[in-house]
Amino acid sequence: MTRRQRRWPIHLALIAVCFVMLVPFYWVLKTSISGENIFSYPPSIVPRDPQPFYYVDVWYAIPFARYFLNSVVVSILTIVANVVLNAMAGYSLTQTFPGKQIVLMLFLSCMMIPFQATIIPAYLITGKLGLLDSYLGLALPMFSTIICIFVFKASFDAVPRSLIDAARVDGLSEWRIIWKVMMPLAKSAVATNVILSFIWSWNNFMWPLIATRSQDMQTLPLGLARFISYQEDTTGALYAFCIMVLAPGILLFLLAQKEFVQGLTTGATKG
Amino acid sequence: MSVTAIDTADVRPRFTRRRSTRRAILIWSFLAPSLLIFLLYRILPLGWNLLLSFEAWSPLKPAVFIGFDNYQEMFWDDDVFWQALWNTLGIIASAPLGIAIALGLALLVNSDIRGRDVYRTLIFLSYPLMTVAVAIIWRWMFDERVGLINFVARSLHLADQPIPFLNSFTWALPCVIAANIWQMLGFYMIIILTGLQTIPGNLYEAAEIDGANSFRRFLRITLPLLRPSLFLCFVIGMLNSVTSFDLIYVMTNGGPGHATEILVTYIYKLAFNQTRFDYAAAITVVFFMLLLAVTWAANRLSGGNVGAVEHD
Repeated sequence: MTRRQRRWPIHLALIAVCFVMLVPFYWVLKTSISGENIFSYPPSIVPRDPQPFYYVDVWYAIPFARYFLNSVVVSILTIVANVVLNAMAGYSLTQTFPGKQIVLMLFLSCMMIPFQATIIPAYLITGKLGLLDSYLGLALPMFSTIICIFVFKASFDAVPRSLIDAARVDGLSEWRIIWKVMMPLAKSAVATNVILSFIWSWNNFMWPLIATRSQDMQTLPLGLARFISYQEDTTGALYAFCIMVLAPGILLFLLAQKEFVQGLTTGATKG
Repeated sequence: MSVTAIDTADVRPRFTRRRSTRRAILIWSFLAPSLLIFLLYRILPLGWNLLLSFEAWSPLKPAVFIGFDNYQEMFWDDDVFWQALWNTLGIIASAPLGIAIALGLALLVNSDIRGRDVYRTLIFLSYPLMTVAVAIIWRWMFDERVGLINFVARSLHLADQPIPFLNSFTWALPCVIAANIWQMLGFYMIIILTGLQTIPGNLYEAAEIDGANSFRRFLRITLPLLRPSLFLCFVIGMLNSVTSFDLIYVMTNGGPGHATEILVTYIYKLAFNQTRFDYAAAITVVFFMLLLAVTWAANRLSGGNVGAVEHD
């Protein structure tokens, strides 16, 4: 087989690509710990006089803890709602019932409606509900996601029919079947739901931008955008802030990469 | 409220018909919360948006039906709209470039080499990151004074003067597109990789026996069988990049002038900075139609498989 020879060009190409993918991170990280004036030219390649003071600056320049808390609360609301609502909807789709085709059609057409095409009425509706500038209002539009419903459906479909029938004969209600029989067997679907909804809500920028008014309700991405509009990019603290915001996402991704990728590919190929 | 219905479900009903009605109600009640969210934040906004586009309305004035006036203003009198439309189309047209690079990468990381999982992880890493932070990273990379790209260009004597990338009418849009491709690359790669792994290996063996070289095998086996994956990438990539509001808002805010204005940023500015909800709604309608048209075309080209769900 010719396939076994000449691997070094492949490695070379991939190393070059990985380099391009990673250099931007490095450049920002370098700026955030460099002790020299960030605008001195030529820029140093390795951080000169490394120091952590920009990270300290972030704490004084902005209410980082408040932004962080807001992001965490909104993310937790989103995650819990997603797991519960999507599991229920996903279970329903494994059953036969009148009107199933309509529901499937509805879900598929909703997938074609990007959130950005609904912002004006979404803002007005949330206003009518009195939820602008509240945690619930920030999380509500993301309470259920169609991709994740299909992730649960795929996972529940793999549970043997006989097991569900046995549970029914034992007198378990449908509600109990979901939580006692299906969920323990769908751990990876739960993990996928948790990770996808966390990443989506953690990174969400446009909706909080529209739906919050007071600084007290702003989430991390908004804080980052606000920082740059007030201070421009004149201080290394901006890049320290950037790293502090990216770190949790990167860590979580490295820990749960499998579930994340699985969720994306299930969602993409099945829905 | 549905809890009581569920608790009584294990009382055996006498007639199967009654039982099946009750089961249907139960299942619909499981679906209800999700459906409610989608009705409230997908379906209802779509209708309301359409209605709003035919009205003259702002939060303090009563709505007046004005027919196609908003559309007339948009198509005949609004240069910014046209600029935003062209920029949006430009970003859509750039998606195949990213997908082509990702296809190459997917073929490389699909080969049997040591450490391929590490490569995959590193290439994919940029996708799940907060786009606002990605925008700040790339602002810094493209910085006129000490950005790495200017530094490299000047060190290699490709440029005599520092190029103000994000303040330049020529460069701003390509720079935003580059940042977008950088973020989406890993996602495309993963989707294509999943497609590659569904191609049966014996096809390649048969072709090899028949004397087809690796280029012909790629052209005749890999590419046709990957077609659904590639178009799926295109549709998702298009939805993602056209709507990449965060990236543009932070990197350039549509500037300089309106050189990087896309429909979404323009809609946002009209609605939430100038409170022209009615006119912004009309542009939203056009934006949505554009997405539908491109998705539909991609769907037809791919053989109609994109987004298809397995029915049982």
